[in-house]
Amino acid sequence: MKKLLFALVASIFSFSAMAGGHADWFKEAGAPYKGTVLQGVAENTPPGQFAGEVLAKEFEKLTGIKVQLENTSWDQMYDKAIKDMEANSGIYDFVYIEQDIVYDYLNRDFLVNITEGLASNPNLQAPGVSLDDFTTFIDYFKDDTGDVFGVPMEAFIKVYLYRKDLFERADAKAAFRAQYGYGLSPATSFDQYRDNAEFFTHFCAEQGMECWGTTVQGHTGHPASTYEFLESIAPSFGLYNWGVNMDTYQSCVENGGQLNGGRAKAALNFWTQLLPFAPPEALQSTWSEVGSSFAAGRAAQGWVYGENAAWIATDAEKSAVVGNVGVMLPPTAPGVMTQAAAGNGYIGYYDGGAYGIPHSSKNKEATMLWLQFVAMNEHQADWAIAGGRITHKDTYADPKVMAVDEQADGYFTLMRDTGFLYAGAPPFPFHGAGRGAIDPFIYSALAGEMTPEEALDGACQALDTVMADLGYQN
Amino acid sequence: MLSKNKTGWLLLSPTILILVLAGLVPFFYVLYVGFFQWNPLAVDPSLQFDGFASNYRRLIFDEIFLESIWRSIKFSVVTLSIELTLGFLLALSLLSSFPLKSFFRSVHTLPLVIAPIVVGSIFKLFTVQGLGPLPHILKDYFGYTLNYGLNAEQAFWMIVIMDVWHWTPFVTLTLLAGLSALPQDPYESAKIDGANNFQIFTYITIPMMVPVLIVVIFIRLMDSLKIVDEVWMLTGGGPGYATRFTGIHIWKEVFEKRYYGLGSAMSILYLYITIVICWVLYSVMVARGKNED
Repeated sequence: MKKLLFALVASIFSFSAMAGGHADWFKEAGAPYKGTVLQGVAENTPPGQFAGEVLAKEFEKLTGIKVQLENTSWDQMYDKAIKDMEANSGIYDFVYIEQDIVYDYLNRDFLVNITEGLASNPNLQAPGVSLDDFTTFIDYFKDDTGDVFGVPMEAFIKVYLYRKDLFERADAKAAFRAQYGYGLSPATSFDQYRDNAEFFTHFCAEQGMECWGTTVQGHTGHPASTYEFLESIAPSFGLYNWGVNMDTYQSCVENGGQLNGGRAKAALNFWTQLLPFAPPEALQSTWSEVGSSFAAGRAAQGWVYGENAAWIATDAEKSAVVGNVGVMLPPTAPGVMTQAAAGNGYIGYYDGGAYGIPHSSKNKEATMLWLQFVAMNEHQADWAIAGGRITHKDTYADPKVMAVDEQADGYFTLMRDTGFLYAGAPPFPFHGAGRGAIDPFIYSALAGEMTPEEALDGACQALDTVMADLGYQN
Repeated sequence: MLSKNKTGWLLLSPTILILVLAGLVPFFYVLYVGFFQWNPLAVDPSLQFDGFASNYRRLIFDEIFLESIWRSIKFSVVTLSIELTLGFLLALSLLSSFPLKSFFRSVHTLPLVIAPIVVGSIFKLFTVQGLGPLPHILKDYFGYTLNYGLNAEQAFWMIVIMDVWHWTPFVTLTLLAGLSALPQDPYESAKIDGANNFQIFTYITIPMMVPVLIVVIFIRLMDSLKIVDEVWMLTGGGPGYATRFTGIHIWKEVFEKRYYGLGSAMSILYLYITIVICWVLYSVMVARGKNED
């Protein structure tokens, strides 16, 4: 809350600075739409809260256009946005487009072409706002011709977080060396990760601390676990695009896919074997609970979504581990880093989302103004501090952001320098259906009802059936 | 006579209109869609007619769907039995006087006014491993590990407990209303004839309560067969398929995987099964009631 208040005050200064520049333009351009109420729906993330509580109010002050942003849970956000766009009911003027759903939305022609909309209506084009200011993350929201359908509002990478205070304890170092025969340090390989996890689980218990060796985003009834496996663990083992052969849309090894191949099985075995070293809530944890567990000091290391990394490292009101958070790239199997650097693979998930305008919106022009306001350079730094997200190239160099970066052990720098090693979700228009087919098998593997091998054999068959059903296989 | 009828129809017309728009139109639409293969994520996202029974034929061999139905029926039978037994006992006890009776009745009724999704949240906060108090208490005092994210049996029974907590007050209140309205003459006659309490309960109270019991059983049966919200919040249908009741299964097929045609067929088939179960139960109860008369 303090952070949001600070951001609010800071943004007032930013907007005052803007007043001499683009404020007059927004005032003038917004005049015909004064009194309009724009409805939006998005996932409740720190950047979403900043947009709803800070940017929306400033925009209303300038233009008289009210923005009502409904920040809700991930499931509800999808449910509401998709139902609205399918029914063409026009409830929402803008919706949150998560990177992995964009191919589905484009395929179903839900979204307004923003590039075209602005080009055909020069009066709506805000001076000083350029889509070229964005990082390459905006490319995920473009179609084949390069036209933009969503204005990025958050972007993160999923990093390896570790507790510096635990890893630097002299007694822990000595005990680790005695037990494993090598020095204690943040993991750069899977064996080391497992050793660290096992070690800290026992070490914490011996010390009477409520902490465990690793986080596991292993909810046995929520897609978060499938995402952790497919987007973080599997790629770091060298399994890309869910193991789907992108030419034939087959995922089983016998049909040319990789979902039940050696790398996939090694990855799932590794991941499920971490469960004894994870906090007891691991099997009921989505990304939010993983962030909260780490912030509460209940894990020594883990894969954590970037949207949580910054506040865990810097927000003393919500996090018990401020000042003790280390940030690194996650461990990878031999060869994966080289493949990622060459553009032939990736080491994890480049997460984030954009605001887009549904065709059903009844206030497209006013929403165009709002999206450009969101895209302005002036408030990107405050937004980055409040929400731990960066979508513009110049934001990295802002002094305020650099100060936070230092507190967050260089998370922003890591994102800038290594973002290219990460990738968004594969371009599957059938994303939801495919993931839904895999979910139960991942849940069963985590619950120990199936071996990882059985689970992946079943998952690939279920996924192949879906892809055949939907007409993707030749 | 004709003008009287006209006035009646006129007065009824808003209700009929609402029923048609909110009930019949969606029903026939779902029935219609159920005859098509339709998934907007498909290469061809339009409705594909694939024979009248193709979706239904597929469902007959769909083990996961059939298991979800069996799971839902099992859940309904278990919860209904517990809720009826507990509800009857509580209703009988509320007939007599005891200290703080009004307070107990008010507190006992509170769960009824809580939305199902909130009930799910309350139970989640109370029972989630590592953070909720219940697993700590069970572990520390009884050495029992509660982790329904891992244990399928625990997940099922946790939902049963949640449903019983939520809906027993409804059964209690309805039965209490029924018991309070029973005529006293048969009881007095039975006492004069020397009947003991058990005989009075078995031969007088239960038969006279049959109409109320039928109402309670049907309302709770239909409700429990379509349970979604609380389960969604507590387990999301997991671990694996352990708590994937038919309502959850249909939701996942329709809104996650976007199988609109197949999902519609599931809904229709499940509605049909629900009606058949209710009809069989009704016939049995009415027949038994007649025999006892």
